[in-house]
Amino acid sequence: MLALVLRTLRYRTGGFIATLVSVFVGTAVMLACGGLMETGIKTVIPPQRLAAAPIVVAGNQSYDLPTVGSGEDAYHETATLSERVRLDEGLASTISAVPGVAHVVPDTSFHAEVLGDDGGPSVPGTQAGHSWVSAELAPFRLTDGVAPVREGEVVLDAATAGRIGAHAGGQVDVAVRGGVHSYQVTGIADAGRRMAAAAVFFSPAEAAGLRSAAGQVDAFGVQLAPGADVTAVSGQIAAAVRDQHAVTLTGDARGSAEFAKASGDGELLIILAAVFGGLAAQVAMFVVASTLTLSVQQRRREVAMLRAIGATPRQLSRMITGEAMIIGALGTGLAIFPGMLLGDWLFGRLTGFGVVQPVFKFEQGLGPVIAAAIVGLGSAWGAAFVAARYAGRTRPVEAMRETAIPTRWLTPTRLWLGVSSLLGAVALAYLTITVVDGPLAASTAGPAVTLVATAVALFAPGLTRLLVAVLRRPIRAFGGLPGYLASLNARARWMPMAGAVTPIMLATGLAIFMLYFQTTEVAAAEKQYSDSLLADAVVTSATGDLPPGLIATVQQAPGAAGATAFVTSKGYNEKPSDATQDEDGVDLTGVTADGVAAAWGSIVSSGRLDALHGDTIALPADLAQRLGVGVGAKIVMRLGDGSRVTLDVVATLRTTAASASALMPADTLAPHTAGGAADRILVTAKPGTTEADLLASLRGRVGDVAGVQVAGREALTKAFVAETQANAWVNYLIVGLLLVYAAISMVNTLVMATANRRREFGLQRLIGSTRGQVMRMMAVEAGMVAAIGAFLGTLVAASMLVPFSAAVSDSLFPSGPLWIYLVILGLAVVLTVVATCAPTWFALRTRPSPSTLAPE
Amino acid sequence: MYQQGDTVEVVRLLSVRKAYGKDRAQVVALDDVTAGFASGTFTAVMGPSGSGKSTLLHCAAGLDKPTSGTVVLGGTDLSLMREVELTRLRRDRIGFVFQAFNLLPALDVEQNVTLPLRLAGRRADPAVVRRVIDQVGLGQRRRHRPAELSGGQQQRVAIARALVTHPEVIFADEPTGALDTRSAQEVLTLLQEAKSVSRQTIVMVTHDPVAASYADRVLFLADGRVVDELQQPNPDEVARRMTALVARAEQRPQDGPRLSELTR
Repeated sequence: MLALVLRTLRYRTGGFIATLVSVFVGTAVMLACGGLMETGIKTVIPPQRLAAAPIVVAGNQSYDLPTVGSGEDAYHETATLSERVRLDEGLASTISAVPGVAHVVPDTSFHAEVLGDDGGPSVPGTQAGHSWVSAELAPFRLTDGVAPVREGEVVLDAATAGRIGAHAGGQVDVAVRGGVHSYQVTGIADAGRRMAAAAVFFSPAEAAGLRSAAGQVDAFGVQLAPGADVTAVSGQIAAAVRDQHAVTLTGDARGSAEFAKASGDGELLIILAAVFGGLAAQVAMFVVASTLTLSVQQRRREVAMLRAIGATPRQLSRMITGEAMIIGALGTGLAIFPGMLLGDWLFGRLTGFGVVQPVFKFEQGLGPVIAAAIVGLGSAWGAAFVAARYAGRTRPVEAMRETAIPTRWLTPTRLWLGVSSLLGAVALAYLTITVVDGPLAASTAGPAVTLVATAVALFAPGLTRLLVAVLRRPIRAFGGLPGYLASLNARARWMPMAGAVTPIMLATGLAIFMLYFQTTEVAAAEKQYSDSLLADAVVTSATGDLPPGLIATVQQAPGAAGATAFVTSKGYNEKPSDATQDEDGVDLTGVTADGVAAAWGSIVSSGRLDALHGDTIALPADLAQRLGVGVGAKIVMRLGDGSRVTLDVVATLRTTAASASALMPADTLAPHTAGGAADRILVTAKPGTTEADLLASLRGRVGDVAGVQVAGREALTKAFVAETQANAWVNYLIVGLLLVYAAISMVNTLVMATANRRREFGLQRLIGSTRGQVMRMMAVEAGMVAAIGAFLGTLVAASMLVPFSAAVSDSLFPSGPLWIYLVILGLAVVLTVVATCAPTWFALRTRPSPSTLAPE
Repeated sequence: MYQQGDTVEVVRLLSVRKAYGKDRAQVVALDDVTAGFASGTFTAVMGPSGSGKSTLLHCAAGLDKPTSGTVVLGGTDLSLMREVELTRLRRDRIGFVFQAFNLLPALDVEQNVTLPLRLAGRRADPAVVRRVIDQVGLGQRRRHRPAELSGGQQQRVAIARALVTHPEVIFADEPTGALDTRSAQEVLTLLQEAKSVSRQTIVMVTHDPVAASYADRVLFLADGRVVDELQQPNPDEVARRMTALVARAEQRPQDGPRLSELTR
């Protein structure tokens, strides 16, 4: 039987290639997503600046949430703390005492930026200051000059020095701790490889004074005595520092001490990969099923003949499954290498767009390959199941009929599958609108759309017949002879036509939905952001840190009703404990009491904001209610850096969808953040003061302070949109990849369907049609197919876009430019016409002769 | 087995009725047909278009189920069999030659001929296969694909395929419908030889009086009934009776416009 399948395959290259391409592209996309997922799961972040220390001791970033429930039901979640957990400087002696340790090097990073000529940052991306003692951890070696020993001396890394043209003995401006100072460059150091962050080294004495938390370090690099065993020593160190909330890291795990926040990006990668890999799998299943079914349909008489001479339905089913599995195995095998390249490329784009930090090691091992192969083969198998059912139903008598165009389509199974797809879509749509938010929305909305598309595909024959009936009249009226012929064709051939309509419906439906989903989400986020902007102007620093005392200057600016420092972090409440708290914890915003009391009075539900001094907090009302506390109560919070604080509740806040953050004094919160200080000041205008007046007044007050910038509402919103767009681009990229896939399948199907009509074209030529007439007839037919497909695709997309946009905005219409829709429609029509007319032309190349009419 | 005189009937249709559709739109294709096909005979079934001759063949071969009545093939009542059993029966005990679309384009002559054996999971006896292919005169072309053969040669392959399983009966549905006169002659001669040399039972549906004259006997169908029978036919007599049948059919009022009205 297998030999039979192989021979048949070799003979029918058209359908074979169509299915092969579908499996190939689908598997490659899934494999690429698999690679992203593995990278996200493994989160291998090799150390860069700490690479030369075999063992690194760092603060433990993981935090066990308070236990919920009791007895056997008790459980707790583990969260990753949002700020750097620092270690006590004194721990160095404990570690040094461990046998096998040669010496211990403390490592601390702080905000320091070498400025270029324009006063802005000299290099794109992150820059950090360190003590020269930690240079040996990379190791950075001096290529020029000497080490910094006094205040006012720095060593630059080779990359930064090269960019600004600095050399040993020169002067540079460095922004550090809110001020800009001139430093002498004593040397240039190079680690011999690319680093994700630029480094500025200060003298050990000056560095100690610049770090944000006195007496604390970020990590310790441990150098071993000759002959000491890394595993043994790290075990002993771990035992020695057990009670210090520290972790002992070796190998690639050391990277997490250097890039504490990057591990959060891993989760994003997993979500992205799961959403798009899942979609790719669905599309692959869909596309492979439709090409395979089409190829079986085209062999209907062959199949019927086999049935007549004694092939049982089961034998046919085995034959078709065998065929699908051979194509599946071939397509999957071919996709492995390109799929891995694609994954690598995608990951490069993700880091390029800044969606994930470029510190991950891209991992694409056997796992994704096996998973993609299983899904690829599985989709081929599922598709074969569908096609085999069709073949099994073929009645042997059909072998003896001349040309019978099938008309029976609504089988009970089809009806059942269609209705359950619709129900599934409704359930997912409900979930999207009510429960899921943010980047996760795509993870339920995407599958919901493919489910709707599946249902429409299952009902496509009936829908096509209906729409053909609608379109027939205008086409007959305005289409001339080709229109007349095409409309006759369409009336008789609505069933095969539905097969061509389906992939167009899928491609346009996915395109419209995915693109407008993005634009709607961005627009909604923009609106939410501008609604939540509690300020009319913002003062920021190009270098990150604000000079101390700036807030007082700003507060006194004419026209300013209130000014507040602004710093955000995340914490967890411990006592009383909130049973509904998850690893996302509580958003915390550090503010200045006087400023918010003056400007934000409207958000207070009870208590007073001007009491926000010292260890105090203002809670959103719903959180206060869940905790069962009110103004005057004491609560225990775990802050982002792992420290535990007891806070007085001084106010409760009216919660809006836009802001659900608790407020704390900036002076209390900032030391517990990675930056150590507020990075912006929000200013609210006095009633009657226009935004322009306020901005001018502020610029007059602080404009001469180096690096300080003042921005209005519009500029802020613009900056926010730009940031959101960067994330959206990644989605566009992957959506684009899927759409290219859908378009390939669409062209595939159309070429296959048209090439099969060679005999019909030959007959038309024989009875006197010119080549041009046949071409025009097919062009009109292609136009009809495109119109029906695009119309159904629009319906499919609208079925999810309308409820989604109703949920995120108040409009039933998705936001976004109309040209996207027009471009999609245009592309669909052009692709359909070309994919139909090219094979028609090909079939018409040869002179018509009775031999072309021989049964195929 | 049914005895009729001293011959054994391989296939017997007993009061077979076949109707399509429901209620008013119902079309009766076979109306109480009783007929027998004796072992080692070659029968042609003729009739005007729509007379039910193809339906008769489908019902007799187990490709279609009669609405009522029974079909007995070699002692087996087909009406009691399920689809898979019918498939096996077709594979093992019936040979088919269709008007067109007889062969798998991907397989060569020999592979097409042995296909029924492979479907049955049996090994083909090379000697038998060679003999059958030689019998239809394609000994030199056993490695050719259908696309490399003429229409007549393709039909001969189909006959070889029907012969290879030694079926109890071969059903042929317009086997010469798409062939030129010479090729048709060759195919009909082959069928005749299969009857006389191998004692093969053959039932052939045709509308061509010349083709029908190769048979031992002709059954005439009109409006789903057997209306006439002719032993040892010659083309002229068959043509005369067919013309009479068509004329009679045109005289009777029916729903649609008549051919005579359209040409008037």
